[in-house]
Amino acid sequence: MTDNEPEGGASAASPARAPKAKPVGVIVTFVVALVAIGGVAAFFMSQTYTSPNYPSGLQVATSLGTAVVNGQSMPHVALQFQTYPDSTGTVDGKPVHASGNPSWPAYGFTNEFQVPAHSLVTVTVHQFDSGGSLNNPFFSKVAGTVGGTATVTDPSGKSQTITQWDPNNIGHTFTMRGAPGFDPGFFLNVPLPTNSNFPTNSTNQDAGQSYTVTFSFISGGKGIYAWNCEYPCGSMVASFGGVMGAYGFMSGFVHVV
Amino acid sequence: MTTAVAPPLLEDTELGPKAGGFYRHQNIFTGLGFGIGLGFIGWLVSHALLQGSNWGSDMVVTCTMFAWVIGFNIGMGTFNAPIRWMLGHDQTHEDELYAAGVGQGASRYLKFCTDHKVVGTQYLVLVMVLFGVGGTLAMMIRTQLITPHSSFLDPQTYNSIVTIHGMVMIIATIIMVSGPFANFIMPIMIGAKDMAFPRLNAMSFWVVVSAVPCLLATFFLGGVNAGWTTYAPLSVQAPPAMDTFALTIITFVVSVTVAGINTIVTVVTMRAKGMTMGRLPIFTWGTVVGSALGLYAMPAFLLVMTMMITDRATGTSFFVPQIGGSQWLYENIFWIMGHPEVYVILLPGVAAVLEITSTFARKPMFAYKVAIAGFVAIGVLAIMVWAHHMFTTGWAPNLAAPFMLTTELISIPTGIIFLCVIGTLWKGSIWTRLPMYFVYLFLWNFIIGGVTGIYLSDVPADQYFHGDMFVTAHFHYTLLGGAMIGATAAVCYWFPKMTGRMLNERIGKVAFWVIAAGIQITYFGQFWEGFQGMARRVAYYDPKFLDANVMSTVGAYILMSGWILFLYMMLHAWRNGAKAPANPWHAKTLEWKVPTPVPLENFLVDPVVTSDPYTYGEGVPDGQEVPDFAPSEEPELVPAGSTGPGDPGESGEVR
Amino acid sequence: MSFEDEVDAIEADTILGGEPFFSRAGGKIFIIWLVFTVIGVLIGFYAPHHLLPTLLSPEGGDVWATIVFFTVLAAPVAAFVYALAFYSLIAWRHKGNQDEPPPDAAPQRGNGPMTVLWLGVSTLLVVVLLFWGITVWSAQQISHPNTLQVNVTGQQWIWSYSYPGTGVSTHTLDLPLNRPVQFNVTSEDVTHGFWPAALGVQVDANPGVVTVIRSTPNKLGNFTVQCSQLCGLYHAFMNTKAAVVTPQQFASWLQSQGATPSAANTEAGTTPTAGTTTAMASS
Repeated sequence: MTDNEPEGGASAASPARAPKAKPVGVIVTFVVALVAIGGVAAFFMSQTYTSPNYPSGLQVATSLGTAVVNGQSMPHVALQFQTYPDSTGTVDGKPVHASGNPSWPAYGFTNEFQVPAHSLVTVTVHQFDSGGSLNNPFFSKVAGTVGGTATVTDPSGKSQTITQWDPNNIGHTFTMRGAPGFDPGFFLNVPLPTNSNFPTNSTNQDAGQSYTVTFSFISGGKGIYAWNCEYPCGSMVASFGGVMGAYGFMSGFVHVV
Repeated sequence: MTTAVAPPLLEDTELGPKAGGFYRHQNIFTGLGFGIGLGFIGWLVSHALLQGSNWGSDMVVTCTMFAWVIGFNIGMGTFNAPIRWMLGHDQTHEDELYAAGVGQGASRYLKFCTDHKVVGTQYLVLVMVLFGVGGTLAMMIRTQLITPHSSFLDPQTYNSIVTIHGMVMIIATIIMVSGPFANFIMPIMIGAKDMAFPRLNAMSFWVVVSAVPCLLATFFLGGVNAGWTTYAPLSVQAPPAMDTFALTIITFVVSVTVAGINTIVTVVTMRAKGMTMGRLPIFTWGTVVGSALGLYAMPAFLLVMTMMITDRATGTSFFVPQIGGSQWLYENIFWIMGHPEVYVILLPGVAAVLEITSTFARKPMFAYKVAIAGFVAIGVLAIMVWAHHMFTTGWAPNLAAPFMLTTELISIPTGIIFLCVIGTLWKGSIWTRLPMYFVYLFLWNFIIGGVTGIYLSDVPADQYFHGDMFVTAHFHYTLLGGAMIGATAAVCYWFPKMTGRMLNERIGKVAFWVIAAGIQITYFGQFWEGFQGMARRVAYYDPKFLDANVMSTVGAYILMSGWILFLYMMLHAWRNGAKAPANPWHAKTLEWKVPTPVPLENFLVDPVVTSDPYTYGEGVPDGQEVPDFAPSEEPELVPAGSTGPGDPGESGEVR
Repeated sequence: MSFEDEVDAIEADTILGGEPFFSRAGGKIFIIWLVFTVIGVLIGFYAPHHLLPTLLSPEGGDVWATIVFFTVLAAPVAAFVYALAFYSLIAWRHKGNQDEPPPDAAPQRGNGPMTVLWLGVSTLLVVVLLFWGITVWSAQQISHPNTLQVNVTGQQWIWSYSYPGTGVSTHTLDLPLNRPVQFNVTSEDVTHGFWPAALGVQVDANPGVVTVIRSTPNKLGNFTVQCSQLCGLYHAFMNTKAAVVTPQQFASWLQSQGATPSAANTEAGTTPTAGTTTAMASS
């Protein structure tokens, strides 16, 4: 058995010793590879739909002093947001969402909130959007608020205390639960009403009627809650596609610090 | 031995200035240009016609990306030959030589080149790039998971990265052995001058290349948030990225089908004289069975993705229960593809391991025919086990027991493969060069992967483990630890033949230990997570899973370092490695009997095969030989595989 | 040394050779095998015991038992392959110049009895595993009298539960001890995975159909229901707090959730057939 000679090259019965791989070559390759990985990663992250870390800004709850709940004294803070029909719209020149989409509603002006730990958080919502029927009437019931109720003021100014709303006239919901392992017993659901002949104004987003909903909850320790809307106002399957599946529109986080 | 003048080398043929026709002006840059151009036109037309309709962005995306794929392939020259043939002008011999890369030097790697060796090398580079992309995405996943509630990635980006990591890796692992090695090595191994369909061979490569930007475009179109399995109806609900994802699959399946047909026809019809099916190297058997399984399974993938596009873009109701469809229909068709597909990934890698084991134990392959039977049994059984992915879907509970039976049965032929490897090692003369290191790592990893699969095949236990990290760890052990390590062994083994250089084994051994350690740490961490009950595909997890996740992420970084070192070794050797002799491993298969670099059309004189390539220690002359230059007679043309003068038949005796 | 002498030398070092057991091939292989088997068996006992969450039902117990049983069976088999592979490196590794291949080994193209034995043992193992699996699975399919019906609805991205006949719908899952429960699971939108891991059962929540899974919690404790099927943006957050409580605690909890007076009854509910959509309990 003969080995065929390689064409025009050195014929050796055994492979010649390879030139010694210099350590600097290994280090350079390693660094280049890490930079390439980091660069590719950064590129992908920048091209994805939304970037993390507060694309719309972070609303830090404002302090209202202290409150006493069930005999316990705790800090009292306030959050406020609106639900707008058009995420490309503006209010007094200020865009309601950082990167709007014409057929999508928005929670404005941000979907990221920050509250202190173990505090009473009072939330005021102005609902400017139209709506309809829920997929699941479970989300028309108020759950997890202090007292189990919420206060709704309708466009004519009349206020009432509710434990649920008509499941066929819901504009949005504010539904919140803890990140895995954080505050597992916590579940908050507040329906945000609308009515069947609610006009929506695209240009000046808060010119229409609004329902105002006020409720309070008690925050847990340090951690994250995730909130999302359970009224299907998106497109595609079960109307939960489109805007509903895009982070930062009908979904967000509440950071507890 | 008669002396004779060496015939002139085919690759030194002087070609006329017009040889090759359009091929002269086509390369990857014209491909990109035409692709982008036609894609833009496709976008313009579809946007104008369809944007306002209900079908809107889904159809626009589909049309645009389809136009890109066609345009890229027009620009590459994929359609040149069929169009000329349809116009009545076939390619001349000079055109075919040009298409095979004669006279173009290194630039033929950027062109549509029909030489199977060029296609094999192109596939090797593509596979390395795909693993780089997929690996980067994996590192992003593991970095997110180093802490329970990380702000590194938002949930949507994370889900998209998980999806694309999976799909890139699936594509890469399907082609990682059959691309480089079934193309470059296998035809030489059977004594053929090229593959049966050289132009289809080049086409299969460039079609895959055109599919890759379709996949990466998902990041720009909203991201696919449904996992690589893209279950309906979630995937029907997904942003327009899902349409380009589906088109990627459709394009990829075309490529894999063409390549599979090419492989099988080549092996069936183009074997050298004396190379009966019973003398075929086991690697060739593995690629044939793997390709045949792919031909069965991959069309189901194309089907299900076509139905997905129509569901999304035109309102059909295949998979959407709310309008009369069935998500179970999707899941069934998907897994009818998905389970055979993992064996398409595994079998070529396992076959390479068997080939390597025989060479480095200096012993014939143990129970060769039994191994072939094992491959065929795996192939047949693979078709009958798919619903073990659906044990917890609530579909057809009465079928749980039959599928449990077939799934557990498949462990029998898989066990036979281990018998063949161990039997070859037993009392062998073990030469521990770098490929052999990876063979041992394959054995270690695949046992763990295979055994953990048995837990998942048990329906009551699967009720705990389905959808949790235990499943992820199991399939990473089998696909990465098993199939990919087999492919790595194949790279180390055939690198000298493909590149003409030897790898630096000192670096290789360091890389080996880092990779081996990285795999164990990463995936034992994930088994730990799985036992504890952590779900898979989650961006945030309960802090009780923290320790296991830290272990897995640290392991991932170690594994990444190992692969980077391995990459360095390959690149360094490719440029400056020691020149390789024609047969550094003193192996007996035909690819080692041709010179390195391998001449165009491989054999200056047709080989004569008188035995299988496993005659180590049997005291007989090597039965797979390429004679020295023959005298002026042409060898008579004999149908492939027939017995003729000099063929000793089964007994191995030489007349 | 001539080829024949080499072969003789290798043959002499066989399992049947005359030297002390543990310095012979068979002995060394046995030691390696034993080490790996012990490690495997220890993992088989340690992992379920320390790593699984507290399991609260016999179905969960089945998971535990299956893991232990399968590991105890698989460990010796895996150990055998590892032992042979490692021994091959100890005994037959060529130690000389690595640039040249070692001389060829004695050819052995097959061993009929070994192949038959290997096939036979693997087939036997498969039969045993199958028998175990089918037995356990069949036992879980039996329905019992006095089954509590719980309707589970998955929606992106919250689980909600209702107890038919009581008018109660909640976001947490409470179950009474020692009472068989049947989960009727469905989804409002995409496929979710209803996964109360501590109960050792799991079934997908599919839109448009009701799938059924049964369990009988037999230990008190808290657990979590997770979603095991990727369902979009907040799949990771789709967790529910759940608990197995005493029957008295369960009854008073139902009352506190606003149960109608018929809540106290313990009739088994009707089983919906597959393909029907569960109507949500209206509040």
